[in-house]
Amino acid sequence: MRGRLDASAQAPDEAGDEGRVAPFWEGPPRSVGAAFLDLWRAGLALWSVFIRTLYYTFRGRREKGDVLKYALEMGNRSIFFMTVTMGFTGMLFVHQAAYQLNQITGDLQLVGAAYIELTIRDLAASIGGVVLATRVGAGIAAEIGSMVVTDQVDAMRMCGTDPVEYLVSPRFIASVFSGTAVLVYTAFIMVVTGMISANLYFDVNPKIFFNFSFVDWHEVLTGLVKCVAYCAAIPVVSSYCGLSTFGGSEGVGWATTRAVVNSAVAIILLDAIISTSAFFIFY
Amino acid sequence: MSRMGDAALAPVRSVGRSFTDIALQTGGIAVLALQILRRFFPPDIDMRELRRNLYNMGNRSVVIVAISSFFVGITMVVQATILVQELGAYSLVGWGSAYIVLRELGPVFVALMFSGRVGANNTADLATMVVTEQVDGLRALGIDPISFLIVPRVLAMIVMCFTLTVIGDAVALGGAAIIADRMLSIDIYVFWKGVRDLVHMWDMWLGLVKSVGFSVIIAMSSCYYGLNVSGGAPGVGRAVNASVVTSAVGIFISDYIITFLIG
Repeated sequence: MRGRLDASAQAPDEAGDEGRVAPFWEGPPRSVGAAFLDLWRAGLALWSVFIRTLYYTFRGRREKGDVLKYALEMGNRSIFFMTVTMGFTGMLFVHQAAYQLNQITGDLQLVGAAYIELTIRDLAASIGGVVLATRVGAGIAAEIGSMVVTDQVDAMRMCGTDPVEYLVSPRFIASVFSGTAVLVYTAFIMVVTGMISANLYFDVNPKIFFNFSFVDWHEVLTGLVKCVAYCAAIPVVSSYCGLSTFGGSEGVGWATTRAVVNSAVAIILLDAIISTSAFFIFY
Repeated sequence: MSRMGDAALAPVRSVGRSFTDIALQTGGIAVLALQILRRFFPPDIDMRELRRNLYNMGNRSVVIVAISSFFVGITMVVQATILVQELGAYSLVGWGSAYIVLRELGPVFVALMFSGRVGANNTADLATMVVTEQVDGLRALGIDPISFLIVPRVLAMIVMCFTLTVIGDAVALGGAAIIADRMLSIDIYVFWKGVRDLVHMWDMWLGLVKSVGFSVIIAMSSCYYGLNVSGGAPGVGRAVNASVVTSAVGIFISDYIITFLIG
């Protein structure tokens, strides 16, 4: 499996079956089986990219300044986008919660404390991660996909270089650091805009809103683990999608689509896994 | 002007450029929306294209939407349980997870998945057609590209995003109930009682109204960036990226506005 991404992952082997007409009852099991085989092959290829990325992260050569360049592209250039989207999300969540509490108890003392806890533990990392994946993942897949389509990646392979070493591992390092920083910043933005919303529409005093008494060390830890896990998953999944591009400009579009969807699915999966294990470890 | 002055003006210039860019894109999307609306008076829609797009965009997305909604449901019930444990009121778990899934996370996550899968795909499709001059070919044959390509896609996206949100909500709630029963030892009956007694019909309808708003945004931005592409294969990648980012920003801003107006 090492080094082979494209051909084996795409074309299921159906030689010798051409002339035979399959009986109708073979249809559904066949399509289910084909879907599972595709998933299995894609999983293997993804795993191979991930392992090679880790290897080259510690062992590989790197173009000087690449990591900083990608960190600037993924981190600093995402800040405006993340501020707008997550700022509105923070306002919205507090609005929803306070509106509902107003109807039930009318006591808004603990809105801030509960919201800050939930934001740090889950919401900032997970929603921020999916939003970041749409931007960063689409960008990575489009860049690498264009290189594959214009045969630059094959040229690299011909020179005896694994494309993972030069293309994926710097993006991986950049994303783990700058992406995590962006997601932590997202948590901050969500808390601040939530406070603004609570103060403007529900007259909650900021001093009462900023109540960190519900936040334990293990919740901060869970949130940070999520941030790092998502930011590690996004470049690996998107680079895999970019590297398995085929066809012309249409292929680049397909690769970008798959990068966004698969990164989002990876984040949601990781979220379920990390949340559930944190629940059983800490509670 | 000296070089110093140029350097001092650079930030102002970049801010100005991004504002004119945003204005240009918003205006372009509005013009496209007007062109699409005009095709409905009298209705000029290619029914075969519509049916094909409904199938490609909707039926083929059901699995991915169902899987991600299932996991969203699991995560939400775990979070709700942690929150409720501190208060000791287990009957509220069903209400908590259903409320947040139906009103917020169901529509938003389905819309993000939809924008990633269908919106990005649509942009890539249209952009490829533009880059390979197939759209000009349609015009040369006297076929209106808006009513042949765009209107069916926009209609199909609106219908299917709504439908997928309904499916996603149902799967997320089902997943939440199962996980609550199996792993968190909250009886499935207690969960459903919480959902039935405390969740209003309006919570669900608000989410579905939102999903219609999101789908309009996704459809418009993906069609706009697909049609206004330039520069070969890298251009297609850039167009897809721009369309996905615009959809995400639009989804969150409109989420806030809709909730604020009618929530």
